[in-house]
Amino acid sequence: MKVILKIALGIIAAIGGFLDIGDLVFNTQAGALYRYDLLWAVVLGTIGIAVYAEMSGRVAAVSGRPVFDVIRMRLGFGFGLLALIASTLVNLLTVAAELGGIAIVLELLFDAPYNMFVVTGAIALVAIVALLPFGGLERLFGYGGLALFVVVATVFHQNPDWGDVAHGFVPSLDSSTLYLYFVVGVFAAALMPYEVHFYSSGAIEEGWTEENLKENRLNAILGYGIGGVLSVALVIVSGYLFHPLGVEPSDLGTVALPMQGAFGETGLLLALGGMFFCVGGAAIDSSFAASYNLAQFLGWEWGRYQGPRKAPRFTASWLVFLLLGIAIAESGINPVEITEYSVVFSVVALPLTYLPVLLIAGDRSFMSDHANGRIAATLGWLYFAVIIVLSLAAIPLLLATNGGGG
Amino acid sequence: MALGLFLAVAALFSSGCGDLSNDELNRGVESLSALAAQGQLVASGVARDATKSTYARVMSRTLGEEAEHEAEKLADATLEEAETEDQRHAAVAVAGEISGLLSELQTYPGDEHHGALVQKHLEEAQEKADAIVAQLSGDAP
Repeated sequence: MKVILKIALGIIAAIGGFLDIGDLVFNTQAGALYRYDLLWAVVLGTIGIAVYAEMSGRVAAVSGRPVFDVIRMRLGFGFGLLALIASTLVNLLTVAAELGGIAIVLELLFDAPYNMFVVTGAIALVAIVALLPFGGLERLFGYGGLALFVVVATVFHQNPDWGDVAHGFVPSLDSSTLYLYFVVGVFAAALMPYEVHFYSSGAIEEGWTEENLKENRLNAILGYGIGGVLSVALVIVSGYLFHPLGVEPSDLGTVALPMQGAFGETGLLLALGGMFFCVGGAAIDSSFAASYNLAQFLGWEWGRYQGPRKAPRFTASWLVFLLLGIAIAESGINPVEITEYSVVFSVVALPLTYLPVLLIAGDRSFMSDHANGRIAATLGWLYFAVIIVLSLAAIPLLLATNGGGG
Repeated sequence: MALGLFLAVAALFSSGCGDLSNDELNRGVESLSALAAQGQLVASGVARDATKSTYARVMSRTLGEEAEHEAEKLADATLEEAETEDQRHAAVAVAGEISGLLSELQTYPGDEHHGALVQKHLEEAQEKADAIVAQLSGDAP
């Protein structure tokens, strides 16, 4: 019973960590512009994050080393430093976007100034992190994020043409640069590097050993799988409602409109509540990921479980990342734009994050019997090839489409 | 390297775009149509008493500001093709209309009667925007 409960909690935590402002924005925009045509890209991204999260969790459980430790060990100081700089920039933009997302949701619920909510939202996060243990954090944001299942209910309420929906799962390539930009965006939103940084460091925080490998696999497959279902649902509800009307969702508030249309005020509140917890969870994950990376690279004591006294530099860096995130979010740049840049720039950082994980997870001298099997290795290298192609295409597409503006 | 790349791209995006081409004018009017469509969905929630007034108010304000911004952009720009001047004027007027309607919704986010009226008028504004798009792309009858 205890094991089942533990797995259930892990799955819930994975849902909370998967769906962030990037997924909410890109999936909704993808549905509005291309109806169901990009569903295959969502599935592709979801399988990708499940594959790499499973590997990073396995490496952490077997070796006791989180991702950034592995990156420095495998790539050396020079490339490790490059990976640190790239992922720190992306994580910082992500923290700012998530803080902006929290503020927008609070503004929609309480109609007070956005700038005030950026600061109060961040203060609330600090208080929650100070008060709750690591597992409690995951549960709070994971359970809260479950409110977003209202999106799945909305799909069934809309009852779209299921043949058209099914057709969207068949990969198709449109030659337009905007379509390709959204393929990259939807894929990258699912594979944001902070997710594996946080996942593997979280495994160390929770003291995972080889005994937790089954739990790790179930978390990766079911947790990210359910997160993927929510992403697919976002594309469908947006494609059903926004595409025929020509709506171009440029605000986070627009994401909630289909749920309001289906279930009135209750649907709206569930959607906004679910968004709040998902984005809040992602703000914690990404800010922790930024300080985990820094501390692991520089060999500092790190970990939420250590507390500020035993890991003062780790705690201080976390607060600094939050402060920098607040400064960016308060700068007046639309959080949705910050999100788009953070997602697209993350693609450039992806190879530096995922290659070392792939190499170490397949290294029998390091992982012994727990090294990648044939399926994990094949999927891992296939995805790495996709990541390389997309990382080369990301910046040219961002420029060619004027940041997705067409 | 990543920082340099980021700054280069940021500089490119903030560098301005010069004269307004026909395509850009078209895209601007399409954005107005999209804003009107989005506004209709918000107004529909108000009309059906199926929303939260804070949400309706903030959404109306945000969309209204976007319409206003679009109007300013269209009004300030120099046209690359002088023969689209009429369409530009019409688009600025539609943008003002959309902005005004959303401002009304912002003032009465809990009034079902106002919600229904604004929804209807936004639908008309969207039709006007779509007609301008059709003229610009040569699809008008």
